[in-house]
Order: sequence, then C-alpha cells, then structure tokens
Amino acid sequence: MVTTLDRDMVTLTSTAAPVDAEGLPETVPEGEVGLLERSRSAPPWKVVVWNDPVNLMSYVTFVFRSYFGFSEEKARQLMLAVHEQGSAVVFTGGREEAERHTTALHGYGLWATFAQEGE
Amino acid sequence: MATPFRSGRKGIVGGLEAPERDLLRKLFRDVILTLEPDPREDEDPLARLLGIGEETEPPEDPALARLLPRGTQDEEAAAEFRRFTERSIREAKVGRLRMAAMDCESPRLELDDEHAAALSAALNDVRLILAARLGIETEQDAARVAEYSDWEQAHDVESYMALVYQFVSWLQESLVEAMLGRLDSGSH
Repeated sequence: MVTTLDRDMVTLTSTAAPVDAEGLPETVPEGEVGLLERSRSAPPWKVVVWNDPVNLMSYVTFVFRSYFGFSEEKARQLMLAVHEQGSAVVFTGGREEAERHTTALHGYGLWATFAQEGE
Repeated sequence: MATPFRSGRKGIVGGLEAPERDLLRKLFRDVILTLEPDPREDEDPLARLLGIGEETEPPEDPALARLLPRGTQDEEAAAEFRRFTERSIREAKVGRLRMAAMDCESPRLELDDEHAAALSAALNDVRLILAARLGIETEQDAARVAEYSDWEQAHDVESYMALVYQFVSWLQESLVEAMLGRLDSGSH
C-alpha cells in the first residue's frame, strides 16, 4: 500500500501542480521532482514501533504486512529492526496520517508512538 | 489439546477442547470488562457520537495502560491524542474480543480473514494483560515465564497465570503462522 502510495505521490508532484497542503511548495520547481526531493520536503512526522517482550515476531510481521501492505521482505526487516535495535520507523509523512497509523497500531496491541522528525 | 491452526480452502481452521474454549471465553470477557468504560450520565451525547472521551491521562491499572499506551512523548499532544482516540481504540478492541469469544463457542473454528485477524488481536490483548500481571518487562522475564510448560506445574495463581500465558502464546503463534501462510499463498 505504502509503496504504491509513494509512487503515486511522485507522479503527482512531477506532473501536476501540487495541492495546497502543508509543507508543499506553492509552485512546481523546474525540472523533474524525484523521489528523494519529494521525501526531503515532506512534512516531517514519523511513527515508531517499539520492542517489547510480549508481542510475537510473527504477529508484528503480520501487522506490518496486512495493515501497511509491506512486502514480506520489508515487513521482516522492520520487525527485526524493532526486535534487535529496540525500535523502527514504520512511516514518515503528514501528522494526521501518523496519528491515524498510531491509533491503528494501538488497536492491534503494538507499542507505537508518533513524533516529529528529529525529536 | 487444541489442534494447531492451518490455512485451508475455506479459510483458517483450528480446533479447541471444551476447557480451552471456556478458558478463552472467560479471558476475552475479562479483557472486555477491563476495557469497557464506565457509562457516564453527564456525558455530552455529541462527544460520545464523535468518539471523543474525557480521558487525557493514561489508565492507572498498568495492564490497561499497556492496552492503551501513550501516543507520543509530548505530554500535551499525548493528552489530546488520548482524548480523541482512546474511546475508538477501546471500542475496536471490544468488538474484536466479542467476535473472538463467539468464534470460540464452537469446537471447530473456521475463520475468514476478518475473524482470524480479530482472534489474533484478541489473543494479543489477553497476552498483554497477562504479561502486565506477571510483570513481563524484559526478555529475561519472558524466559522465566516460559519455564512453565506443564499444567501439573500449576500450584498457585502465578504459576497458573504463567501456564495460561504460555497456552495463549502458543495458540496465537499457530494462528498467525497460518495467517502468514495465507498471505504468502495469495489466497488472502
């Protein structure tokens, strides 16, 4: 889901005038706007999932795959990052979306928080 | 002993013995009771309709606090987040727990994706509550609880709870493995 969304965003920003959303430039910069440029100017909010000794590795992987639509590979990498490094960023983008994902993850019983990038 | 879950043509199937079904239904009911907010007479009906609650502080009960953790570090934002989301999280959980309790009335479980997801989330909530009561905060704590594997070891509340935790964990693992297998096979 997120992968598709990212691709759509790139298409949007490179062909059409950006919608009047927070953090987006008023005018389209000259030339192509690539994936990297887009993510650098994106509203800097993130969702972090934290490790805990209760949630099963398989369950965390399942939630990442079914809720976010991540590939098996990506879901597994993020789950391992949570397990081995203590936390992983599972989403970067707007604040409203970050809050919505945090709510959903709490619904699944995962320990998630949202924060502004750099916090 | 329960039959491990497996992915079949009609969805995910599994089997539970009568004492296991009784135990699970009781656990789900307990979690529902923990989650259901006390009805308030003076509550604004519009606020209730919109899912906005009065709560801004984390629950005092550590087990309930584990089910409803804070959403962000910043105190003010966390209080605001809780006010706007806690009620809907509670309601979503209660809905899944009710569905799971109903599915556990039958000795043979046949679960479509929605019911399987509800049961796995319900089992997870049960484990979070039991883990809080058992004081599982580190991997070492989890390993201590994992030492209980035989019902004959049940000699007090703590050991009984540890054995229930192990059983629910085993059941959830079996269910989630079948769900992952279903995602892999593309029959999702």
